[in-house]
Amino acid sequence: MTKVSSRNGSIAFKIFAYTLCILLTILSIFPFLIMFINATRSTYEIQQSAVTLIPGTDLLNNFDVYTGKTFNPFQGFVNSMIISIGATALNIYFSTLTAYALVAYNWRARGAFFSIIMGVMMIPAQVTSIGFYQFMYQIGMVNNFLALILPAMAAPATVFFMRQYMVANLPMDLLEAARIDGSREFSTFNRIVLPIMKPAMATQAIFSFVGNWNALFLPLILLTNNSNYTMPIMVSLLKGDIYKTEYGAVYLGLSLTVLPLFVVYFLLSKYIIAGVALGGVKG
Amino acid sequence: MKRRKRLSYAKYGYMFSIPFVVAFLLFSLYPTLYTMVIGFMGAKGLDTAMWTSLDNPFQNYITILTNKSFQQSIGNTLWIWMMNFIPQILLALLLTAWFTTRRTKLKGQGFFKVIFYMPNIITAATIAILFSTFFGYPMGPVNDLIVRFGFVDSPINFIIDKTVSQVIVAFIQFWMWYGYTMLILISGVLGISPDIFEAADIDGANTFQQFFGITLPNIRTILIYTLVTSLIGGLNMFDIPRLYLNGGPAGSTTTASLFIYNQAFAGSYMYGRASAASMIMFVIIVLASLLLFWLMRDKDEVAQNKMMKQNRKAQALADKTAGGRGLL
Amino acid sequence: MKKRILTAVLSVAMIASLAACTGGDAATTTPAPSGDAPAADAPATPDAPAPSADGKTVLNIMSFTVEVPDMFTKYFEVYPDRAEKYELNTTIIATTDGAYQPALDQALATGGTTAPDLYCAEAAFIIKYTKGDMSSYAAPYKDLGIDVDALITAGDIAQYTVDIGSNPAGDVVGLGYQATGGAFIYRSSLAIDTWGTDDAATIGSKIGPGWDKFFEAAAELKAKGYGIVSGDGDIWHPIENSSSTGWIVDGKLTISPERREFFDLSMKLMEGGYHNDTQDWNEAWMGDMKGVGAQPIFGYFGPAWLINYTIAPNCGGTAPGEGTYGDWRVCEPTGGFFWGGTWLLASATSPNKEAIGDFIEWVTLDTSDTGLQYYWANGTMVAGTVGTKDTVASGTVMSKSNGDMEFLGGQNMFDIFVPANQFANGSNLTQYDETINGYYRDAVRQYTSGTATIDDAIAWFKQQVADNLDVIVE
Repeated sequence: MTKVSSRNGSIAFKIFAYTLCILLTILSIFPFLIMFINATRSTYEIQQSAVTLIPGTDLLNNFDVYTGKTFNPFQGFVNSMIISIGATALNIYFSTLTAYALVAYNWRARGAFFSIIMGVMMIPAQVTSIGFYQFMYQIGMVNNFLALILPAMAAPATVFFMRQYMVANLPMDLLEAARIDGSREFSTFNRIVLPIMKPAMATQAIFSFVGNWNALFLPLILLTNNSNYTMPIMVSLLKGDIYKTEYGAVYLGLSLTVLPLFVVYFLLSKYIIAGVALGGVKG
Repeated sequence: MKRRKRLSYAKYGYMFSIPFVVAFLLFSLYPTLYTMVIGFMGAKGLDTAMWTSLDNPFQNYITILTNKSFQQSIGNTLWIWMMNFIPQILLALLLTAWFTTRRTKLKGQGFFKVIFYMPNIITAATIAILFSTFFGYPMGPVNDLIVRFGFVDSPINFIIDKTVSQVIVAFIQFWMWYGYTMLILISGVLGISPDIFEAADIDGANTFQQFFGITLPNIRTILIYTLVTSLIGGLNMFDIPRLYLNGGPAGSTTTASLFIYNQAFAGSYMYGRASAASMIMFVIIVLASLLLFWLMRDKDEVAQNKMMKQNRKAQALADKTAGGRGLL
Repeated sequence: MKKRILTAVLSVAMIASLAACTGGDAATTTPAPSGDAPAADAPATPDAPAPSADGKTVLNIMSFTVEVPDMFTKYFEVYPDRAEKYELNTTIIATTDGAYQPALDQALATGGTTAPDLYCAEAAFIIKYTKGDMSSYAAPYKDLGIDVDALITAGDIAQYTVDIGSNPAGDVVGLGYQATGGAFIYRSSLAIDTWGTDDAATIGSKIGPGWDKFFEAAAELKAKGYGIVSGDGDIWHPIENSSSTGWIVDGKLTISPERREFFDLSMKLMEGGYHNDTQDWNEAWMGDMKGVGAQPIFGYFGPAWLINYTIAPNCGGTAPGEGTYGDWRVCEPTGGFFWGGTWLLASATSPNKEAIGDFIEWVTLDTSDTGLQYYWANGTMVAGTVGTKDTVASGTVMSKSNGDMEFLGGQNMFDIFVPANQFANGSNLTQYDETINGYYRDAVRQYTSGTATIDDAIAWFKQQVADNLDVIVE
């Protein structure tokens, strides 16, 4: 292989790679663009043609419709934050802890426990959630955020991911070293294991946060009091009007719902971009 | 003495699992068992007083297995899943290779990584609306374009064509999830110790050799995770098929989950049948997952064995230390 | 995990419905064999009106929009003494993703102090609450202290709303405020171009009664380059409602001759080029309202709300001369029908029957100038503003209200809609309609688009009903 042909290959590769990446970028940004643009257009304009790149002039009008309802969007933001942060924190912490129990210790029920977790994950969600709402209703957890937060402690998929990640990336010698230093098991987990797990935790935290933030159905039927509404519930109320849908306000509502997600995502994404090195591993 | 030490560490395994187990028992177990039970009953209608037991407890299972729409929905589900998953995992792997290679640094890769996940942030309802607008008939952006540029003489009715509708659903799934899959794989690669790559560099391994020789084997556990969760998620595909064309045209985008939903909510409230169909899907998913684990078994086992050896070494070391220092 | 969140959605809906009905009458609930009987241990609390902190009685209202709760504002304005006695606890759950019904069912079944005293249901699912699975939870209006039969006669209440609102025993348990009887809504300019007149009576006799006349008119319009309707969905409502029987007769699927004819009529529209082949609610369908489709479209079948909320906002203008604003008229439809509507029901276990009855009567049966329907018909819900005029259930109210609409070139729409409400048929509905209609229209589209023969399409339709519903198909 001559130098020239290898350089040509490299240039061809770069052209190909950049073309593909730019194409995918356009595909990724496009719906957001349409959403933001439609937030500035009137319902009539949207009904006549929903896809355009030309902004309209009805942003304030849409905002009036959105805020003129019986709910308070700022309260919705606070409620969504409480639920999403609470559920994400529990999900990530306890899933990592459970995975750690599976990877770091050799206990008799370990294999069976892992199989059970896998099995739980495979039961179609249609089945696993049957009875959940009813149960919540019976124990009076309707209109209680905990009904949406506490179940996050048992998230089989996250445990599975953390376990897979730990098996590949958690050096056992490190834990030994910690034990030699006199560190207690629980504090070893908090001080040494958690930092190593950061990239995995950040990735799962994003998914968990997005999922909880966008969740609609469960909140919709569990949180019936309008001071408890989350942001997606508010958008669904705008949409649920039977004879007329204020699409402009709906798109504005969707845009405002997605903005906090952006912030959270971009904050956590540094772990994805920079590729936080596994400080504990080297040396 | 030695034996007691070993047990003293094992107890942490139990202790650390307690929160998960408690939450699981509270929030998942009861509803699951409840559903399993009604699968063997004539559970029909909203009034549970009208529910009966069945002469043949497997009647619901027989009804579902011989139900043509159910058979078709399984076929649809597998077909749409394959159409979306194969391109998805390939693209995700390709991007992972590009974004993690230490040789040809693509400029702006941080930007790309972040952007590609974004379709996953929007709710499925919004995406379904956008796509149905996009493929609108007789007026819609796609039709406007292909007519204007003369590809066709008159607008195409995309929403009446079965294959086109399946492809569009598969494409939406592909587009929503390839970024997610890529992020998972990248997080796996980031976990690989840089020493291994440095060693490979010194050995003069090229990009391809490094990817197939080092990266792939080292993210195998994560790859299994991706395959298994995609399989489970794919076989439970529900929101886009429901929201985009509600399973049409002619049932071509009715997935198994949508079928189950219809059993329970299309008007007849046939919970017994819905539950039986769910359990059948559960069995299918378990079998498919076992098949996946089996296909990936060799290398995984190697990794496992290595782990176990390490564990054993660690344990031995721990015993030694513990023995030397007494109980802390 | 990928689809879990949204699949969870449906499962939860399942649970909710499962649980329904179990709490209301615990004594008759048969426990599941496992002893896992749901909700049986959630007894309905013996009902005593729950006074709030300031001594007012709390009325629990459950609805899917703010429309009915907002009526209470007007109610308290008209009757200030009630405002001092009662206060509202409003629960609004959108119908999005089918969330409303499971929550309502659960709340009704569980009972207790938070159970709804008053709840609303829309046309798509009202049958379930008046005649179907949930009908036992609704209190007959006469138990609420309403002299219902006399008031229905006096108010000239649209018969179809009464039929739909009656339970299997024949007692009225639900009525609406709106009536959604349908008319044919057409473009004056195209009528004049084709027939030299836009007179409602003349046009009404051109397009009907009966589909033969409709297609004669379609051919004449086509000769001028116009389509008669936008898509085949437009003729579906009058065809569906003209049916002599519902989809289910004695538990068996029945395709009535009227509905069966939809295949042929739909194909006729397609082959004649009489429509723009749109689907209702799609952009192209809306586009035809301002005349931007492949050919100008003559009209739509629809109730008054379609004019107010759909055609008017999409006509391309807000004053005569702009877009199609002011170019629309209404005439009698080819066949009578209704489309949509909201019914009010009271819980049979409500401890506040008197208060709820008083409100329901004011909304559904009060024909005076201070009754809700008078405000509603004249668009004067909010004092001092001009709201949207709408058709109401009471013919008496409409006949003394002013239905002149600038959008309809000054035509008084009530002239058409009062009889239209009487043409509508409330006796051919089932609780499966939404689903079965979906399959049926899908089957017809397969046929008209040429992807299936008529026999294949009907076989497919029957298969879907047999596979997905608890209905006997022969």
